[in-house]
Amino acid sequence: MVADNLKLDGKLVIITGAGRGLGRAMATRLAGAGADIVAAARTVEQLEETAAEVRRLGRTCLIVPTDVSRSEDVNAMVAAAVKEFGKVDVLINNAGAGEDSFGKTIDKITDDEWRRGIDVNLSSQFYGCRAVIPQMLKQKRGKIINVASGYGLRGGKHNYMYACSKGAVLQLTRSMALTYADYNIQTNGIVPGIFPHNERLMAFFKGGKFIPMGRGGEDADVGPLAIFLSSEASNHINGALIKIDGGGLAGGITPTGVAPQPTT
Amino acid sequence: MALPQGLNDFTLADKAALVIGAEHPAGRIAAATLAEAGARLMVASQEPGTDAQINETVKAAQAAGAKTAPITQIQNATIRADVRATIDKAVKRLGGLDVMVTALDAPYYAPAEAGDDSIFDRVIESNVKSVWMACQEGARAMHQRGGSIVVISSVLAERGVPGASLYCAAKGAVANLVRALALEWAREKIRINLLEAGWMTEEGSPALANDEFAANLLKYLPYKRLVKPEELAGALLYLASPASGFVTGEAIAIDGGLLCRV
Repeated sequence: MVADNLKLDGKLVIITGAGRGLGRAMATRLAGAGADIVAAARTVEQLEETAAEVRRLGRTCLIVPTDVSRSEDVNAMVAAAVKEFGKVDVLINNAGAGEDSFGKTIDKITDDEWRRGIDVNLSSQFYGCRAVIPQMLKQKRGKIINVASGYGLRGGKHNYMYACSKGAVLQLTRSMALTYADYNIQTNGIVPGIFPHNERLMAFFKGGKFIPMGRGGEDADVGPLAIFLSSEASNHINGALIKIDGGGLAGGITPTGVAPQPTT
Repeated sequence: MALPQGLNDFTLADKAALVIGAEHPAGRIAAATLAEAGARLMVASQEPGTDAQINETVKAAQAAGAKTAPITQIQNATIRADVRATIDKAVKRLGGLDVMVTALDAPYYAPAEAGDDSIFDRVIESNVKSVWMACQEGARAMHQRGGSIVVISSVLAERGVPGASLYCAAKGAVANLVRALALEWAREKIRINLLEAGWMTEEGSPALANDEFAANLLKYLPYKRLVKPEELAGALLYLASPASGFVTGEAIAIDGGLLCRV
């Protein structure tokens, strides 16, 4: 039955970027559905707040300070999870950055900014997949969820590192999905559309008025999708890149909210 | 049946739900899933002469915990008057319409040269016109209050298959129909999404009757097996329920990763 399959009782989920935003929202919603959490991010104070919310829901939360752009940190994160819980049911590669680079002209982007962005958004997810696969092969089961972006599917003006790294995340997801389908390991992607996390982004996206549903995404919108993709209810879904975007990516060749003149 | 705490977003408690094409395996799973999530249910056929299969679907819904017996309607989903009567009956008997699932499908496999105009009309009518009319009439019932429509289709919507040109065209048409309707209805709080099934067991697909094709296909599939109808349940509930409240115009494939292949 589908309700039993959706439950996450006793599952162990690692979430990177769990200190705020989508990562924290997913951590608390997954805990609400029964999962124990390994919360990873650079800033311990923020992880403490996430952990407090998870524990309030009666679940266990292990904090692992992690810089996802360093592979040794990511390896240590997975090792800490296995040591504490003896397994990893789900890895959510969520940490990312670079939204503050939107709008910067190409001649102003330094080598360091480019490399740093690719490391944090793309290499981090590769490191996560690579670190967790041996354990999941041992378990003969597992799920990996990579958080990408609508900018991985479409271009953006003055949007280079972010669009490139997120597009590559989609490809990482597809190749992982095909490679490990035979081993009962599913790899899927969450593709958020416009989620304006601060006032600057809210202004940049004009309050979301050009999004078909008329608003930007809120962190809580992603919780149920994270539950579904972490659960047994999605066992035959693999390599899916599921958009959560208020309809934006279904269109894109006309401005939002205006229809062409009806044909007579 | 109530869903456990923490899964509240997936509940359809007391929602009015209609499944069209309920004689098909995907329709039967849809009916059982919506019933389990608490919906009050009506099931309608794609074609006449399907009473026995519809009864199986009713039994499945009741076994899944339907609080009241599903209302049944035998109809021809390509006839406007039938579709309209079905929607009207759903609205009247269920007190509105919050969720509509279409499981409308009529597989057709043949070389392109074999098809005449009557085949074109039949394939397009049964696979596209049926969905178009169900969406038109269903959305009419959802205006003012909003709702969620899930169109069950196939991975054939996304790729070409030799010997299935017309069927692929029909499924592709449905996929883009869903995208356009999603944009048109987004501000009216009507969400519409696509669920794309991979090659399924039990679908009675004539394609799989070709042993050479079936044997090669099995080796080709990422999971080395066909999709079971019940494996559609999770994605169906996700798309039908408030869990996907910020999702419209999207397609979720249940294919084990098949669409990732080169």
